[in-house]
Amino acid sequence: MKTNFGSISLAVVALFLGVAAATQFRSQDVYSRSLELETPSSLTTLIANLSERNNELRNEIFDLRRDLESAQSSVSSGQGTLSEAEKQVVRLRVFSAESAVSGPGIAIRIDGGFDERALSDLVNELRNAGAEAITVNEVRVGPRSFFSGTADHAVAVDGRALRGPWTVRAVGSPDVVYVAMTRTGGIIGQFELIYRTTRFTVTKETALDLPALAPPSR
Amino acid sequence: MTATPEVRRRRLQHSLVLLVPAVLFGLLVAVQWRTQIERSALSVRYNAPLIDAANALQTEQDKLKTDLADLRKRLDEIQRNASTQTGAERELQSRIDDLMSSAGLTPRSGDGVVVQLDDARNVSVTSRDIDKSICHSTDLTDIINTAWKGGAEAIAVNDERVVSSSSVYCVGSTIMVNGRLMSPPFNVVAIGPQNGILGAFDDPNQLQDIKQRRDVQGLGFHVTRASAIHVPAYSGALNIRYAQPH
Repeated sequence: MKTNFGSISLAVVALFLGVAAATQFRSQDVYSRSLELETPSSLTTLIANLSERNNELRNEIFDLRRDLESAQSSVSSGQGTLSEAEKQVVRLRVFSAESAVSGPGIAIRIDGGFDERALSDLVNELRNAGAEAITVNEVRVGPRSFFSGTADHAVAVDGRALRGPWTVRAVGSPDVVYVAMTRTGGIIGQFELIYRTTRFTVTKETALDLPALAPPSR
Repeated sequence: MTATPEVRRRRLQHSLVLLVPAVLFGLLVAVQWRTQIERSALSVRYNAPLIDAANALQTEQDKLKTDLADLRKRLDEIQRNASTQTGAERELQSRIDDLMSSAGLTPRSGDGVVVQLDDARNVSVTSRDIDKSICHSTDLTDIINTAWKGGAEAIAVNDERVVSSSSVYCVGSTIMVNGRLMSPPFNVVAIGPQNGILGAFDDPNQLQDIKQRRDVQGLGFHVTRASAIHVPAYSGALNIRYAQPH
């Protein structure tokens, strides 16, 4: 009896030990990604981003429903859908950077050392903030644009070398894009720490004029 | 009750056997408890509702994207039927088809290259190299940039098409592409000239950082030639509010 009791309690202790060790290992040792591991502040940022996206989608759905109705009534009245189709061409040309555009937005002047990866990150950040059209100096950034370096410290957009100081312009909501770039911990703040001798000047613009994407020069 | 020295020794052995695991157990409980306390009281209180909210918004987004794709399809059908009527409409329709294709609003299939990117396996959170062992949003933007440079015609990341408004966004350790929540592994599918795209990835001056982390920290990074691959159409909003064409 005594031996039995001893081994049972030993087994119980060992079991607990095993469970505890396993939990410990899982919760502490191996890096894993899941929403559960995010801080409340990160989660709040994610939620803000998701709801902004969903609002854009709802607006677009609203517009498209209206277009659909007007196309249907045009067809039933025998007029054809020429005007809807023309409207669609105009929107698609803006979206694919095929037409020159004007509008409000921001301008970022970069005076000093900079490189193509930082430029690519900046364009990514502008797109995330809702920029609708972007240029670097006078070169429009397109849907398939790529950034590269050149031997003499210039950056190139689609193979076109561009010398500094650079001006990156973006059409979009001036307030939203400006805040996204210049907020604490934002990309401009990060650049200022990395490129210490470079000056970054961000300004809100009421009227920008951006050229269309140039035909490929490959 | 007179215990022989033999029995007394055995009892002592038994209690010693239990003592060691008991101490270890206590230690673990203590460490566990301490890490629990170190997580801020805030995260315990707010995380569950925040995670629920994020997941609900992602589900809603999926539905909105399906609705949007459906509306685009219906509008397209109406216009396609109408465009058989006059020459001007037919011409306009083929213009729309070209634009939709170059904007990424139609799916595409063809030959190309698939790039897989993943965190290194079993990375310890206490490791000094953790930052180099996991993939970041900038790795994805670098990979996409390299694929465009190699002449890619269409790219998707985990089935999200990369278009003119696409961004890779990172908060904490969560990554969003086109506003969709994602986590590794990432599959970057690039349709286009295989030799050109592979050449861009093989260029020793490209992606030096990723290649070094693959070799040293075991970051997952594989580039493979692939046939008959598929990228879906962009299903997000065009979202043109401020830009006026002229």
